[in-house]
Amino acid sequence: MASYPTERSAYHLLHKIGAGVSAVVYKAVCLAKGPSSVVAVKSIDLERARVNLNDLRLEAKSMALLSHPNVLTAHCSFTVGTRLWVVMPFMSAGSLHSIISSAFPSGLPEPAIAVVLRHTLHALHYLHSQGHLHRDVKAGNILLHSDGSVKLADFGVSASIYDHPAASTSSTASSSFFCDVAGTPYWMAPEVIDSRNGYGFKADIWSLGITAMELAHGRPPLSHLPPSKSLVMRMSRRLSLDYVDDDGAGDRSRDMNKKKKKKKKFSKQFRDMVASCLVQDPSKRPTAEKLLKHPFFKSYYKSQECNYLVKHVLQGLPSVEDRFKEYYLISAASASHDGHEEEDQEEEEDDDDDIINGASSKNRRISGWNFNEDGLEFDPVFPNIINEKDLELVTQLNPCSSSPSSSAAKMINNNNELSSYPSSCSSSALLNIQADTKEGTNYTIVDAGVLVPSLVSLMCTLELQRQTVKGLLAAAVSDHETTQREEAAHGDGDHVGRGGGEFRGRAGGREQEERRSRGGD
Amino acid sequence: MKGLFKSKPKTPAELVRQTRDLLAFIDLNSNPREGKKEEKMVELFKLIRELKSILYGNSESEPVSEACSQLTQEFFKGNTLRLLIVCLPKLNLEARKDATQVVANLQRQQVQSRLIASDYLEANKDLLDILIAGYEDMDIALHYGSMLRECIRHQSIARYVLESEHMKKFFDYIQLPNFDIASDASATFKELLTRHKSTVAEFLSKNYDWFFAEYNSRLLESPNYITRRQAIKLLGDILLDRSNSAVMTRYVSSKDNLRILMNLLRESSKNIQIEAFHVFKLFAANSKKPPEIVSIFIANRSKLLRFFSDFKMDKEDEQFEADKAQVVREIAALEPKE
Repeated sequence: MASYPTERSAYHLLHKIGAGVSAVVYKAVCLAKGPSSVVAVKSIDLERARVNLNDLRLEAKSMALLSHPNVLTAHCSFTVGTRLWVVMPFMSAGSLHSIISSAFPSGLPEPAIAVVLRHTLHALHYLHSQGHLHRDVKAGNILLHSDGSVKLADFGVSASIYDHPAASTSSTASSSFFCDVAGTPYWMAPEVIDSRNGYGFKADIWSLGITAMELAHGRPPLSHLPPSKSLVMRMSRRLSLDYVDDDGAGDRSRDMNKKKKKKKKFSKQFRDMVASCLVQDPSKRPTAEKLLKHPFFKSYYKSQECNYLVKHVLQGLPSVEDRFKEYYLISAASASHDGHEEEDQEEEEDDDDDIINGASSKNRRISGWNFNEDGLEFDPVFPNIINEKDLELVTQLNPCSSSPSSSAAKMINNNNELSSYPSSCSSSALLNIQADTKEGTNYTIVDAGVLVPSLVSLMCTLELQRQTVKGLLAAAVSDHETTQREEAAHGDGDHVGRGGGEFRGRAGGREQEERRSRGGD
Repeated sequence: MKGLFKSKPKTPAELVRQTRDLLAFIDLNSNPREGKKEEKMVELFKLIRELKSILYGNSESEPVSEACSQLTQEFFKGNTLRLLIVCLPKLNLEARKDATQVVANLQRQQVQSRLIASDYLEANKDLLDILIAGYEDMDIALHYGSMLRECIRHQSIARYVLESEHMKKFFDYIQLPNFDIASDASATFKELLTRHKSTVAEFLSKNYDWFFAEYNSRLLESPNYITRRQAIKLLGDILLDRSNSAVMTRYVSSKDNLRILMNLLRESSKNIQIEAFHVFKLFAANSKKPPEIVSIFIANRSKLLRFFSDFKMDKEDEQFEADKAQVVREIAALEPKE
């Protein structure tokens, strides 16, 4: 790490390999280390990124202090004008998501899944032992190198229980508690979605289970669902590794699915492994360490690892930069032709957000899963809609929060950034006495210490439900996922950044979160 | 039968003593025979990890307060903290992280409702000097930085750092090229200037001249975007805190400060503009504006009013709009003072 230079002139940028609203990822050469030293440079626009600088600091710190062969860390990071450059190893084969989209649209063979997930589990075991949650495990964040090595990437949303004030004195690894919401919905565990009770390491295990299904089918479960189907009704749908899609997908695709009804066969061990990850009760899910001992991983142990991936997965793949170009062209084309421009932009912005700050997430939310172990199926449950008035209530009260700095609280507080000083919290202390006293009433009467945490969690749940509604309305393309990890950045920034505020305009929690950080437009 | 060979679990105090002995050995023998050193290191890492799991608990158990308190007492009875800090550069990455977490946790452990870490540090203030100088060594900066931030939770320790010569060095550390280290130094700097209200107010009054001269020229006028953005935000936090009202009054009476703030308002960065506005408004709202401030406002009145008519948050913000309207009223109503 020490040996990578911290100035812009030391790097020569070659190709764009990922892009989003506020970040671009390049393949680059580090000149100081000779022409063959290729790196990935993630360039984050700090003016546009919806992130507060303290979260960025914590992220940089985790990156600097982690060290594991299956965890992608940074060589160094430094600022260039209003951008933060993060220099990382270049993972030449790109993300698993991109590999699947490009060459395995109906999923990877089981031995490849075993190899990849085993590396991912090693990474998770390490992160968990370090007190970190990853919080966004998915194929888009699993990167491959052409030599067959595998790294788990993207700490945009990861969190450390040791850096968390709530964990400082009393909390233990087992009771780590996060009230804020992070991650990408399809992969999210029920207790993350329903975050009132907090969640811990087992949430990553859930996401790993969903990732397994994603690798097996070529996409995460439910991602094919058009969200317009049901607005208020609780949806209940069966979904399984053997995978049948029906009513939700509309008549046309139902017919197509019938034709394709040749079910993919999966081994008993694989199904069993996935099932163990997707147990509703987090305490009954295995730890990463325990899961590594599952027979599924043993059964493919012989598939000689790196070699297997190189021969069976990576051979003949287009380069990362070509895949990015192609992806970019396709998404740009679809965005301008199919009349869903607005929604696409929304979605891509959200994607970006997942990476950069993680506090918010994608359109469609699922409030729970009812898992049916025999059939290896689950029934997702969509949350109900909530009165907009309640959102407003939270909005009004939050400036008074002097709460613990859970990210959710921070999210609220971003609003005026003076929140750590309730005494002067209304920034108008000197200016607008009228307004100050009006708002102040709430906060002198009610004990903020009691009120704020409950409001924070209320806001989290409201936000989720609002997201669902938004998602259902937006009827957007779902498989807009990443092509690569760097896709950190997804989609092109300039292209995507314009417009796209219709739904945001009347959002409660979401709006606040964005208000500050979208400053650059 | 198994039980016979299993050694009795060590008490927390025993673990601390063993750790201390090993640290002392490693401290003295910078170059013992390789094999032997390796062995001792491995043992040391294990011990530090055990200390950590007593303090934080592990996947099987919550921390036990009695054990934590024994550990803490033994730790500060001897010179363990000093040895651990001094030997940190010799540990491997994982052991450094564990050690940092142990030290952080110990700052909050109470023994008979006393924070004995605070007493220890007060008697060993030179340890703070070592920790702060850590920002100059990339390898240990983040570890020492985390420890330092925990230590300055104690008011007397924060006062020591504030009043030391080290305060001046922070203006350099904040602008180190490595983002992770520079932002860690910023976080410490912010903590020093915001956590203990009365101490901060006292420090700022006593050191007003040099401190704000440095703050203005090195941070608010830094060529580095992120330095300016963090500095203007922190300045707002400081000045809007009631305990610093005397300092605030003084700050908003200086035309040089006003000039700097007006420049920040003109920045292309929206984030900086908005933070600058939160400080600028204090100049306008000051009911006892000195004549030189009034004349600057009057001289720039039309420009300022034009600026504010276009100056908007991306999202509707009532508070901001109200503040802005107030600022505009103040400036519009100014009469030249003879």
